[in-house]
Parts: sequence; structure tokens; C-alpha cells
Amino acid sequence: MREIVITPLKTFSVPIEAEKICPDTVSSLALKEIEGIEVWEGNRKMPLSDLFQISGDEGSTSPKDTLISLKGDFSRVKRLGEKMSTGEVVVEGNAGMHAGNSMTGGEMTIKGDAADWLGREMHGGLITVKGNAANYVGSGYRGESCGMRGGEIAIEGSAGDYLGEHMCGGKIAVEGDVGDFPGASNRGGTIHIGGNAYLPGAEMASGTIVVKGCARVLPSYQLEGTVGLEGMTLKKFLGDLVDNGKGNLYAASVE
Amino acid sequence: MIIEDVLCPFCGCLCDDIKVEVEENQIVSVKRACRLGSSKIRGHERIKAPMIREDGKLVETTYEEAYEKAAQLLLDAKRPLLYGWCSTVCEAQKKGVLLAEELGAIIDSTATVCHGPSIIGIEEKGLAGSTLGQVKNRADLIVFWGSNPSEAHPRHAQRYSSNSQGKYTPKGRKNRKVIVVDVRKTRTAKNADKFIQIKPGTDYEVISALRMIIAGKGDALPEQIVGVSKADLEEAAEMMKSARFGSFHFGLGLTHTRGRYKNVDNALSLITDLNSHTKFVVMPMRGHYNVTGFGQVCAWETGFPMSVDFSRGMPYFNPGETAACDVLGRRETDAMLVVAGDPASNFPKAVVEGMADIPVIQVDPFENPTTYLSDVVIPSAVAGVEVEGTAYRMDGLSLRMKKLVDSGYPSDEEILENILECVRRRQDDN
Amino acid sequence: MIIKGGTVYDPTNGILGEEMDISIENGKVVEEAKKGDVIDAKGFLVMPGGVDAHAHIAGAKVNTGRIMRPEDGRQGLEPKTKLLRPSTGYTVPNCYAMGYRYARLGYTTSFEAATPIIESRHTHEELEEIPIIDKGALTLFGNNWEVLECARDGDIDKLAAYISWGLRASRGYGVKVVNPGGGEAWGFGGNVTGLDDPVPDFDVTPREIIRSLMKANEMLNLPHSVHLHTNNLGKPGNYATTLETLKAVEDITSSMDRQVLHITHMQFSAYGGTGWRDFESKAPEIADYFNKHDQFTMDMGQLIFGSATTMTADAPLEYANARLLHAKWSNHDIELEESSGVVPLFYGRKMPINAIQWAIGLELALLTESPWKILMTTDHPNGGPFVNYPEVMTLLMSKPKRDEEIATLHSLVPKRSILATLDREMDWGEIAIMTRAAPAKILGLKDKGHLGIGADADVTIYDLNPEKIDPSKDYKKVKAAFSLAKYNVKGGEVVVKDGEIVSLPRGRTYWVDATVPEEHAQRVEADLVDKFTKYYSIQKSNYMVQDAYVTNPMVVKAGVI
Repeated sequence: MREIVITPLKTFSVPIEAEKICPDTVSSLALKEIEGIEVWEGNRKMPLSDLFQISGDEGSTSPKDTLISLKGDFSRVKRLGEKMSTGEVVVEGNAGMHAGNSMTGGEMTIKGDAADWLGREMHGGLITVKGNAANYVGSGYRGESCGMRGGEIAIEGSAGDYLGEHMCGGKIAVEGDVGDFPGASNRGGTIHIGGNAYLPGAEMASGTIVVKGCARVLPSYQLEGTVGLEGMTLKKFLGDLVDNGKGNLYAASVE
Repeated sequence: MIIEDVLCPFCGCLCDDIKVEVEENQIVSVKRACRLGSSKIRGHERIKAPMIREDGKLVETTYEEAYEKAAQLLLDAKRPLLYGWCSTVCEAQKKGVLLAEELGAIIDSTATVCHGPSIIGIEEKGLAGSTLGQVKNRADLIVFWGSNPSEAHPRHAQRYSSNSQGKYTPKGRKNRKVIVVDVRKTRTAKNADKFIQIKPGTDYEVISALRMIIAGKGDALPEQIVGVSKADLEEAAEMMKSARFGSFHFGLGLTHTRGRYKNVDNALSLITDLNSHTKFVVMPMRGHYNVTGFGQVCAWETGFPMSVDFSRGMPYFNPGETAACDVLGRRETDAMLVVAGDPASNFPKAVVEGMADIPVIQVDPFENPTTYLSDVVIPSAVAGVEVEGTAYRMDGLSLRMKKLVDSGYPSDEEILENILECVRRRQDDN
Repeated sequence: MIIKGGTVYDPTNGILGEEMDISIENGKVVEEAKKGDVIDAKGFLVMPGGVDAHAHIAGAKVNTGRIMRPEDGRQGLEPKTKLLRPSTGYTVPNCYAMGYRYARLGYTTSFEAATPIIESRHTHEELEEIPIIDKGALTLFGNNWEVLECARDGDIDKLAAYISWGLRASRGYGVKVVNPGGGEAWGFGGNVTGLDDPVPDFDVTPREIIRSLMKANEMLNLPHSVHLHTNNLGKPGNYATTLETLKAVEDITSSMDRQVLHITHMQFSAYGGTGWRDFESKAPEIADYFNKHDQFTMDMGQLIFGSATTMTADAPLEYANARLLHAKWSNHDIELEESSGVVPLFYGRKMPINAIQWAIGLELALLTESPWKILMTTDHPNGGPFVNYPEVMTLLMSKPKRDEEIATLHSLVPKRSILATLDREMDWGEIAIMTRAAPAKILGLKDKGHLGIGADADVTIYDLNPEKIDPSKDYKKVKAAFSLAKYNVKGGEVVVKDGEIVSLPRGRTYWVDATVPEEHAQRVEADLVDKFTKYYSIQKSNYMVQDAYVTNPMVVKAGVI
């Protein structure tokens, strides 16, 4: 495994866009070349080395055997691991917006918190967050009918609003609570929520949402009965009936 | 001299029948406008001259100095924000977009604290609307949801909605039924045929329940839904379905309560559902007289109606990331230009605090709370009174504002042009 | 300047592949230029600049499309350069992209297909922002209350006066009619089902509306004929309505040297079958009619697979589309005048209906004997964005390309369309007719679409040698060459060189100023005062498009003699 270590040289306030920090892009580059990769600080374009210290292993590898270790506070660094298809990215700290967006494979681990739009429009791969995630986890872009289509997002803490909006496939699991409207307008995929959720599955057409805590359920969901799932007794609902949805919503308790 | 058919530069009604009497370049009377519009047209005390803040105090200076200072502050910034735009004409808004492009800045309008969520809802579902004249001529059922036009759009009822008279509605109010849905009994609600009071933050659920009833699935609902009786909703649904032409007007009560754009999203779906039973249109009740205009200009110039980030040389749109409240709230913007807006009054407190730490340039005819946060203040002519130009009504109809009197002040457009020239000169020097 | 030695196709003037020089002075084609640059065009294809007679490029509908489709906006992104502003959008490009992309294709003129009078200020605001090309807009007259009343009363004089006023109020170029009567019926959610279905509350039929407008159009000697989007557009079996419509006006003669009626995006009006299950092409029947009648013209309305944004004044159609496809739906009804809808769609090769629709457009063109009668369009962006015009051009020129495409389509295509059996391949001259000469003639733009003395110096040079290249075989190369002009000369100025925009002149906006006898103008005035007092939501004095919105006008005079 070739490890490339990237550390911020300062605290960022104006956000950075660093979509090229991705195994597919850096795996064949020498450290010096990686230093020259273009990043943006607001409206200023500059080489990566102006903002980050780059160290680690030399020698070109395949993207599959590349590990990018991001050590420090990357909470204002956006688009990390964008479109990655293989390899590994580990953020030893917080990650900025759009981390892992459009991923098709590989693994991203965020040891701190993730900002909005984590794994947006993901197709494959795995994202793990040890801390909390913010809004729009695994969602789509404005106006698109499909967001996440595949892959897996696992969050050990809590997540914000609009989790998995427009999901068409894949899996999102959150151990803690989520905010408002998880699984809105979904047409597939699976969402597991360990804690509470507010109005899950709004206008869901198909897919599965499991809420192991307390859910505030829409009036347009129909209680079908109770089922045993993963050692718990859960209420099973069908919805969202406003649009003849055939999604499955499971909730341990209802607000 | 009486000037007829003047357009009012206040709210989204964009009334165009105002009569203004001008004597020796002074406005002496304003007829037909509501209180709010009349006050705007008559004007009040103006910022006398450009000012630059020195040692904490605003000191008068020349326009040239102010333009240079503004250009310098904006160019030094890595994430400048150009904000406001709702109370000026399209000609100035176009200059704003051009300036944002050349600076690599973010440009956003007051929709961010108003109908921004409506735009996002429209991006999900589309907007099944019409011009206001259709409502006037055809609507026999009008719904106001989270909207209080009696106070925010005073002449709306008379000119366009509840009390207006038209081809199929010659008896005006008597030809119509009005339904109001709100969290409290507003003035508009007092004049409704039916008022449904809902608990704050429950709009989404109430709309879903209504949609179920309209789709004939009401049996699946309990007798009480989030504190509203099913019978009440059934009555409202029946009124809507049996209308010949219904119109649904919504305001900040829907867009700025829990759910935000999802509320609008669901309301738009409700209107689509209703169209399979009868004719129904939906209309966001836009606040400022030309916030709609900014959305139109920004869309045809950049492809997106608001919250556009030009940092990387091409438009990037992602409200939640690129809207004014987002970037200020996260303290990621490092300079701000405010044109024809008053964010210090209208933004959430945490966001206003973000403004206090950065250089702010204000372009406005009038002093307002934003002035106290500004480092450069550039007084402009009042668009629609001292400057002519284009504005778009809440229903998307564009009209030309008149110039009634001369003023010694430059227009917003001229000011922006001058700042742009300073910016270009400095960029060439580099 | 002189464009030297190109292989010129100027069908209007009978030039089909002649090696010759084109001399230009002061923006016009002249006998001999006294001075100027020389562009060596030897071995390259030279044509007049492209003329698009029907596209939705500016106005409320287009902007609604942009606003509701940020997902389209983020496609087709091109950053700003020293010269150019950023481009965004694929089906609904921003204004700058419109101009740049047309210019790169070698087009120099485009007309907005439909502007409602009361919202024409918006149309012109957008047209003003579109760089390079000359433009105009066709004004909607098919559902205005004044039109319906005049048609009901058979008052052609007053109708002509209203058209004259409406063109001035909208700074429009011609009379556009969309689903006549249906737009008004949609005001209460209804539609009209055929030519003789009366419009609710107005006691007039679509037949009467179309006939009245055509008579008034000819009385006014307008440069363009009535431009019609038929009733029942988009419905299986609607070819019958189309033929009935044509037959209903066979007796009306044109006052000018042009067609008496132009039917637009005919593909959408050439359907057989009784429903979507037995949906099939009736292009042969339509083409046959056009082959036998010289007073009518049409344009294709070709489908392009992929994303499209439908936008039309046929609002009931859009509602039906949205319901069928569970798509986003925007609607905009316009007081006393029109209605409209915008619905994003995706045309799929394996969707049987779409595949057949695609075949129909091509069938129409290949079966119509004279290319002067059928223009190449995609009804941008309803059938697909105009950047795909080279795709359509090469499909028309190459049977092997068509065969290759058909092989990727749903298997129903050969059963419902005869496209696969058609061997015809258009040649350079026919393509020049369908994209330049004919649209200019049909629109009545006498200085466009040709390179005779006095014509506007709009010239395109493509990186193709007509002597050496076989468009039937080398269609990939032909498509690439048509997509990026080697040179685009607009009004005598080089605007595109080797596919790059090098200059941004401002185009002119054509509009028609038609005079009518004072007596009838006054009768219209009286009606308008009444309507503004009672029904409109704005004041009459604020209604008309002011000079400020048309800063570079090209006024064409017309009127009742």
C-alpha cells in the first residue's frame, strides 16, 4: 500500500476545493507532482503545496493500492475523494462538503465529522464516518430524480436533514438520530436509522427505511402490522400513499 | 404635473396604476398606492454622500474614492459575496451578475430569506401557475396558505384576488370563496370563508393529509391529524375540488417554517393533484418588487436563479452551500457588497454577526441597519422613482418602471459599472 | 473581404457546388470587393449562414425551463474566457451559450418560435443578451380574446388591425398559432378536440380561427405566413387533424411569393394509430399531401435521443405529458392571450414510442420530394437541443448511418415506420436548402439564406471538401465538420475561426411594422380600451414593448395596401 499523507498548513476559513485528492488521480504521481496539483481557495487557484504539506511514500502504484491519509482539520476542504473508483482515503479529523461524492468504489473513512452532501450521487464503494454527518447524506443534486444509486455509507454518530434524498439504490446506516425528512422521494435503496427520525419517506415511491428509535410518521403512511426485525419488534408501514408509493417504513416507536 | 400609470417600487404586486403629482421636481402627492408604496415613492431622508469608515467612523468622501475602495476590498477577497438586488431594476441586476463573474464572487438575492425554498421546491416539481389576471378573471376559489396579503400585499385582494372583478367573476368577492390556512388568525383570515388554524411546523403533514383526502384515500386518516380535524380538511378539499378555477397563494408562513422547501414541494404536488379534478394554479407571494426580476435575470445569464458561485470561472449553484446565509453563517466569506437590500434587518442574528467581521460595501439610497455595519457606503438613486428600468411582478410579468423626478444621485447600474471599471483596471494592472 | 475559391452551395441562386469567390463589403455580398482580407476557402464547403426558423431560444418559457432544471444547468458548462462569458446548460442553455453555440455551428440567424404579446418584453430582454446572431420572434395570436372575437364575427379588417397592433406591441415578426382555441379552453382546464370543436364561451371554432388569421395575414402582406402548431398535436391518430387542417385552408391564396401556411414540427402531428399501443407513423400520408400541394411548407421537429425540455404554448399537451411520464410540470396561463407548459423529458432508444417518433421526423424529410418544403429543425429544445443539428443533417445524408442507428432502437420501429426502407440520401445542396435557403424564403427574409448580390454577408465555411468526401460513408467526419465551423462570417465580420469564437458583434432584431386603415385601427383601440379597463391586470399604457428593449432593430414594413 502506498501511503500519501496530506496535512493542512493553516486553519482554513475560506473553503478549499480539492477534488483531485483522490486515489485515481494521485496514485501514479510522484510526491513532487502531487504538490503541484491544482486546488482552489475560494476564487484563487494554487498548487496543493501552498496549502498542504505532502509526505509519504514515493513510487507509482495502482489506484487500488493507494491510501491517502488526510491528517488534520479538513472540515473546510470540499470534494475529497470525488469520483474515486478504488483505493482508500482516510480523514484523521473532519471532512468538508461533498466528501466521496460520485464515488464508484474504494473506501473512505472519516474519523471525525462529515459536512453536508457526504457521498452525494454515490454509485459504489464504502464511506464510514466515526463522528457525525450533516445534511444531505447520500443525496442527489438539485432537480435530479436520482441521487445515490449504489454503495454504502455507515455513520456511527448522528446525521442531519434530508438523508438519502432521491435515493435510487445503495445503503445508508446511521447509528444515532437523523434530522428531518430522511429518505424523501426515494425510489429504492435501504436506510437504517439507529435513533429517531422526523417524517421519514416523504413521497417515497419504493425502498426501505428502518427507524429503531422513535419516528414521527406521515399521515399518508398506512400501518400494516408489526414485524420482528433484527431482534426488535417494529411497526411496519406502507407509503407514501400520496403518490401510491410502495415503500416500506419500519419504526420501533411512533411519536 | 400628474404622471399616470406609475409602477410602485415596493412589493411583488408591482401595481402599475399609481398617480403621482410632481411639482418642480418634487413629489407632492401619490394616489392609489397603499401606505407602503406611497411611503416608498414619497421617499424619506437620504444618505447625503459616499462614506468610507475610518477609525470606526463613517467619513464623507467622493464617489471616485468610494468606487476605488470598493473595488480594492472586493478584489482582495477570496470569497466575496454580492447580495441584495431585490429593490432595484433588472438593468442593475445584470451589472451585478457581470461583476460577480469578473470577481469570481458569489451572487445571491433576498430570496435566500424569502422564497428561496420555493425555488428549490420548483426545481423538484415545476410550477403550475398563471399571470395574476387569470386569477382576477376566473378564480372562484382562492387559498392563502402561510400568507397574509392584508398586511404584506395590501392591494392584492382588490387588484388581483379575493375582491377583484373579471370576466367570469363580475361580482368580485361574491363570486368567490376564500380559504386561509395559517398558524394564527391573521387579518386575511378574518375575511375568509373558511379558516383552518394549524400548529406551527405541521404544514407538511397537513398538506399530505389533504392530498390523501383529495385522492379519495381519506378513510385511511384518523379523525385528528396533527391537531387539525379531518372534517375541516374534508370541507376544504371539497371546496377546492368543486371550484371551477382555484388559485393557491403561499408565503413565508410556508417557506420559513419547519420543512421549508419540502413544504413548498408538497404544496406544488397538491396543486398537480388538484388539476386532475379541476383547474388550479399556484403562486408564490413574492415580497420585494423585483426579487422575481433577479431570479429571471440570473437564470437567463447563468442558468440558475440565485445563489450562484463564480469562484471557479463558471456558475455553480447549490443553495445550502452557496446561498448568502450559508456562506455568512459559516464565516467563510471575506467581503460583501450589498445592493438594494438590508441584510442586517432581515438575516438571522448569527448571520448578521458574520457580517460584522468582514468589509461591507453598501449601495442604497437610504440609511438602514446595514449602514452601521458598512465600511463603504455609496448612495444611489431610487429605482422606480428617479431611475427607470425593468421589474418583474410576482407572477413573472415584466413591466417598465418610470422615472418621475431627477436626482443628483447615480443609479445602481452606474455605480456598479464604475466599480466594475475600477476592478478591471486593477486586474489589468496585475 | 473575399472568400476565395470555395465550393459554394447557394441554391436560391442556382449555385450547387461551383468553385467561386464571394466578395463582401459593408456587411453585404457585392459584385467585387475593392479591398479587405482574403480567406482562402479552396477545397472547402461554403454555404450561406444557417437560418433557424423555429427554436425556443428566449422568453418566459425558456427561463422557466432553466429555473426548474438546475440539473440541466450544470451540464454543458464552459468557463468564462477573456472574450466569452460562461456557458451553462444543455437543453436550456444560458443566453450567451445560445449565441456561441449557434455561431460555432455556422448559424447566423434564429427566430424565437412563440412569444405571448404581454410577455414579449421578457422575450426581448433575453434576445438582447444572445450574442452574434440576428434574431426575431413570432407572436402568438391563436388564443387571444380579441382574435377569437374577430374570428367569430368574421371581421378580418379588425383582425388585421389587431395583428398589426399586436406585432408592434410585441415587436414581433409574424403570426404564430398554437393549438388555436385550446389555449383559451385550458384557462378552465379544458382543450379543443378538433377543428370544429367550439371554444367554450367564445362560440368560435379552431377552423374559423385559423382561416381568419390566415386571411388577415395575407391582407397585411406580412413577410411570413401564418406559422401553425396544429390542434391535437402529440396524440395518436392526429395526422387526420393535420390533413383536415390543410384541406380547410386550400382555398386561401398567399399575397406574397411564399407558402400560405407553414406547419411547424410536423413530426409531432404525423401520428397514426388509435392509442399508444398501435401508435405508428403517418409520415407517408403527410409527405404525399405536401408533394401534391405547393402552397404549404413544414419543418421536421426531429427527435434527438437523450435529455430534452419540452416547452410549448400547447399547455394541455404538457399537462398530459407530465401525468403520463410522472415528470416535473410547469404551467403558465397568460391572461386574455395564451397558455403554456414546460416539462423535462428523456427520449430513449428502447422506448418504443420515442423510437417511432425519431423515425417519423426523418421519414417526413426523406419522403417530401422538394427540400424547399421541409426545414430541418428539432423544435429546440422539444425534440432536442439545436447543438444536435449536425446529427440530423448526417442522418439525412447517410443511409448507412440511419441503418446503424435503427439497429440500436426498439424492435417495433420497422413495424410502425417505413424509414428502414428509404434509400434516399440528401446531398449538400438539399441540406443547404433545408438549413439556409428554404428557412429564409419561408420566413420572408429576402437578404438571408443566399449569397446573391445584396444579401447579408452571412457565410459559413466548413472543413469539408465536397469533391472528395462521401457523406454517405464518412458521416462521422461530416458531423464533426458541421459541428464546428471552420469560419463563420456574420455581416462581413469573422465571428468563428477554426471552431473558436473570435468576435462578438451584436445581432439585429427583426420585427414587422404593418400599417392598416385608421378606421379599423380605431375599432381595435376601442376594444382594447374596454379589455384593459375590465380584464387585464395591467394598464394599457404599460403594455407595449418599449424601444429600450430592442436596441438594434431591423424593421420590416408591411401592411394593407
